[in-house]
Amino acid sequence: MSSTTTTPTRTHYRAVILKMLDALSMPLVAILFAFALGAVIITITSGSLSAALVAYVGLIEGAFIKTRGMSESLVAAIPYVFASLAVAFGFKAGLFNVGVEGQFYIGAVTAAAVGAAFSDLPAIIHLPLVIAAAALGGAVWGAIPGFLKAKTGAHEVINTIMMNYVAYRLVEYLVSNVLRDRVSSAVQTIRVAPSAELWSMASVPDRLADPLNALFVALLIALAAFFFARTLAKTARISASLNTPRSARLFTVGIALASGVLSFLLLPPLTRALWIWTDKFDRLHIGLFLALAAAVFMYWLLNKTTIGFELRTVGANPSAAQYAGINIGRSIVLAMSVSGALAGIAGATEVLGVSTCRCLPLFFSAGYGFDSIAIALLARGDALGILPASFLFGALRNGADLMELRSGVSKHVISLIQALVLLFVAAPAIVRYLTRQKVKPAEVAEAPLTRGWGR
Amino acid sequence: MTFALEANGITKKFPGVLANDNVQFDLQRGEIHGLLGENGAGKTTLMNILYGLYQPDAGEIFLNAQSTQITSPHDAIAQGIGMVHQHFMLVPPLTVTENIILGQESLYSSTKFLGRLAVLDRKSAAARIRELSHQYGLDIDPDATVKDLPVGAQQRVEIVKALYRDADILILDEPTAVLTPQEADDLFGIMKSMAQQGHSLIFITHKLREMFAVTDRVSVMRNGKMVGTVAPKEATSEMLAEMMVGRKVILQIDKSAAHPGGTILQVENLRVEDDRRTAMVDEVSFHVRAGEILGIAGVQGNGQRELVEALTGLRAPVAGKVSVLEHDVTHKPPRAVIEYGVAHVPEDRHKHGLVLTFPVADNLVLCTYYQSPFARGIEIDAAQVEREAEKLVNEFDIRTPSTRTLVGSLSGGNQQKVIVARELDRPVKLLIVNQPTRGLDVGSIEFIHRRIVEARERGTAVLLVSAELDEILSLADRIAVMYKGRILETLDAKAATREQLGLLMAGVVGGKHV
Repeated sequence: MSSTTTTPTRTHYRAVILKMLDALSMPLVAILFAFALGAVIITITSGSLSAALVAYVGLIEGAFIKTRGMSESLVAAIPYVFASLAVAFGFKAGLFNVGVEGQFYIGAVTAAAVGAAFSDLPAIIHLPLVIAAAALGGAVWGAIPGFLKAKTGAHEVINTIMMNYVAYRLVEYLVSNVLRDRVSSAVQTIRVAPSAELWSMASVPDRLADPLNALFVALLIALAAFFFARTLAKTARISASLNTPRSARLFTVGIALASGVLSFLLLPPLTRALWIWTDKFDRLHIGLFLALAAAVFMYWLLNKTTIGFELRTVGANPSAAQYAGINIGRSIVLAMSVSGALAGIAGATEVLGVSTCRCLPLFFSAGYGFDSIAIALLARGDALGILPASFLFGALRNGADLMELRSGVSKHVISLIQALVLLFVAAPAIVRYLTRQKVKPAEVAEAPLTRGWGR
Repeated sequence: MTFALEANGITKKFPGVLANDNVQFDLQRGEIHGLLGENGAGKTTLMNILYGLYQPDAGEIFLNAQSTQITSPHDAIAQGIGMVHQHFMLVPPLTVTENIILGQESLYSSTKFLGRLAVLDRKSAAARIRELSHQYGLDIDPDATVKDLPVGAQQRVEIVKALYRDADILILDEPTAVLTPQEADDLFGIMKSMAQQGHSLIFITHKLREMFAVTDRVSVMRNGKMVGTVAPKEATSEMLAEMMVGRKVILQIDKSAAHPGGTILQVENLRVEDDRRTAMVDEVSFHVRAGEILGIAGVQGNGQRELVEALTGLRAPVAGKVSVLEHDVTHKPPRAVIEYGVAHVPEDRHKHGLVLTFPVADNLVLCTYYQSPFARGIEIDAAQVEREAEKLVNEFDIRTPSTRTLVGSLSGGNQQKVIVARELDRPVKLLIVNQPTRGLDVGSIEFIHRRIVEARERGTAVLLVSAELDEILSLADRIAVMYKGRILETLDAKAATREQLGLLMAGVVGGKHV
C-alpha cells in the first residue's frame, strides 16, 4: 500500500501493474480453491459429480444471466461495499470492528426515522440529510467502543460485539413502538418520503424531470469532476502544461463547472431518450454510484491525507505513532467513527433503496455486517479491492436460490464456499504451499524462527 | 590435528541473495574461534546452517571428520552442537533447573500409590547442574527462579543448558552485548575454561577488542564469502576492520575540542517509573549545553530507556522537571517536545523508530508529514515527500533500491540511517540518541558517529545514551554513569578511563558497592 506516488514513468506504470497482478493472484487462487473444494463437498454429499456441475451452472445463471440476475447481484453488492469498507477501515488503523452489523442496524433505523420525519423537503436536501443522519448514527455506535478502547484499553472486539446486541434490541424496540407504522398490519416503520428514497435506476428519467433533482445530480457530477480534474492536474504530462498553480486551478474549476452545467442541461433529455434501465421491477438503485464514490473516498482518505497517514501509522506500529507525536486515542476514536459511519450508510441503502416497503421491517435479516469481514479480508483491506470482492459475494448471495432450485443442493453451500474463500485467504501459507509460490527473502528474514526474551 | 567441525564449500541461496558463497570454515578441538563480519555478511546464515535451521544448497559438514547432515536444531543438539542465542530462550517464571530440563525431562514413576503416573525428576537434574556449574566456574543456583537472575547469570543458564545436553561445540551469538565489561571478562574466563576442558567454541561478536581478548583464531566474512582466517597475535584492529569492510576504516573519530554554549536541556530531580510502577529513574539531575555531547554510560536496564522516554514525552515522569531551552516540557506530549526542537533516535528502531511496512519515503517524514511543505490542508503532497526523500537518501547515503521500498527490507545500518536522516534534517536544538549503533556494521557506525559529531559542531546539544563504552569514550565530552536509576558520577571524558567507568557501571564508587 503506497501513500504517495512517484513521478509516473513507463517503468513505474509497469511496476504498478505487476504489483496489482501480484496482489490479485492470492485472492484469485483462494477463490479458485474454494470453488474446487466446494465442488468436492457437493459431490460427496450428493453422491454425483454432475450435481456440482449443475449447481455451479445454476449459480452462474442466477447471479449473472437470468432476468435481472446481474442487477440483483449488484443490489446485494452495494451494502457489502459499504460494510466491508467499514471493516477494512478499521483494519488499517489496527482495529477489528466486529460491530459493523450493529452499526448497520443503527444506520438503518436512523435512515428510516429521518426519512419518514419530513415529507415536503426536496431530495436535494432530504437525501443527503438522511444519509448523513445514518452515517452519524453508525459513527456514534462505532465511536463508543473506540472511546472505551482509547480511554481504558478495553478491547474493541468485545465491546463491538456487545454493542451489536444492544443495537438489535434497541432497533427492535424502536421499530415496534416509537417508529411503528400503525396503519400497516406488518410490524414495520413508517414509509420514508419519496424525497428520501435512493432512486431506482428505472426511475431516474422521471426523477430528473424535476429541475431541482437535475440540479442535485449536476452538483454531484460537478463535485466528482472537480476531484477527478484535480487528480488529473497532478499527473506529470498535464501538470507540465499547466505551469502555474493558477492555471491548474482554472483547469480544475473549469472542468468541474463545464461538466456540471452540461449534465444539468443534457442529462434530463438524454436519460429520457436513451436509458437502458427500463425494467420497472429492476431493483438496482443509485446507491451503486454512492458505493463507488465511498470506495474512492476511502482510498483517498487513507492514502493521500495526513489523517490516513496517522491512522495507518497507528495501525502498523502504535509505538512508532506515539514516538512521531500522533495522538493514538484520537486516531482510534476517529477510525471507529468513520468505520461506523460507513456501516451506517450500508444500513441506509437497504432501507432507502432496496426494502419493498421503503421502511425498516421488524424482521430485517441482514447478515451483511458479518459477511463483510470476509470481504474485507479477501480484499486484503484494500479500498479498491473491496469493489470486486463485494461483487463476488453479492453474486454468490444472489445466485444461491437458482442454484438450489436447479440442483437441489442447499443454498447454504454458498456459506460454505464463502467460508472456504476466507479460509484460503486467511491462511496464505496453505495456498503458498499448494501453489509453491516462492516466499520473498524479506519475509524469510522477518519470519521469527526463534523467539526469546531477555535484554 | 583433528577438527571438531569442518564446513566445506557451504553455499546457501535465498531469492536474490547469495547468503553463503562457497564458505570454508573449520573449528579445532578445544579452540575458541571468533567469527567477525558486518550485518548481512552471512555469519548468521552459516550458524543457522550449522545449527540445523537451514539446509545448505551445496557443501558438506564434517563432525569429527565424519560427514554428516544437520536437519534441525534438535538434530544439532543430538550431534553435540549447542547455541546460546543473543535473545535468551528461557521461561522467566520457571526455575533454572526447570528451564534446563525443559524438553528433556527425565521421569521416574512411583508405582506404590499412583500406578504409572510419572513424576518429574528435578533432584538428579539439579545435582547435575550443580556439578556442571562447579566444573566450569559458572556459579549457578539450580533452584533460583530465572526472572530473579541478573542478565549475566541468565546467560550462564543458557550455557549450562547447552552443556547439560552434552554440547561439544558451542555457538555463542553476540554474548557480550548485554554485559558490563567486567561481566564480559568473567564470561571470557568461563569460555577459556570450557575450551581447556575440550569444548570447541564459536564466538560471534562485532567488538574487535573482544576478538583479541579471548579467541585463538578469527575468521572474517564479507558479502557471503569467507575473507580469511587469522590468529589475533598476528593481527591488528585496523587489519580486521579492513577485512570486514573491504576498505580502510577510521576507528577513531576526529573531533575538535568542545565549545559548549548555553544550556539547552536541564533535568532536575527527575523520577520515572516503569509500567510495573518500579522507580527506574531516581532523582536524576543533569544538563546538556549547546555544542557538547553528554554521554550516559551504563549497562542496559539501569533506567536509560525510561530516562529517554521521559525526556521525549513518551512516558510521564512522577516527579521532577525537564526543560528544553527554558520551556518546561515535563508533561508535554511527544509532538510538543518535537516542536521545541528535540530530535530522538530511539533505542529500538523497529519498535519506535520506523514503521517497517511503510516505504522509505514515508518513514523519512514520519515526524513532519503534517507540516508544510509536505501537507497542504489535510492532503499530503506526494511530490514534496518524494523530493525530500530523494534528497535525504542522497545526503545520508541510504542504500535502497528506491524511495518506495519498504523500510523493513533494508539492512539494519540503512534503517538506522533513515532514522538519523529524518531526525537531523529538522532544525534541531537537542539531539537525543539512544544506542545509535547497536547491531550495526563498522561502516554504518563510522557514518553515524560522524553525523553525531557534526551535529555537535553545528551547536546542537547531544545526549548520547549507550551501553558501548567505546562509543561513549570516542564521542562524549562529558560522561555520566547511570546505575540502578541514579547517576553515580559525571566525569570529564578526557580524564575518564575504561576501568574507572567499568567499575562505576557495576555500581562501585570509591571501592565500595552502592
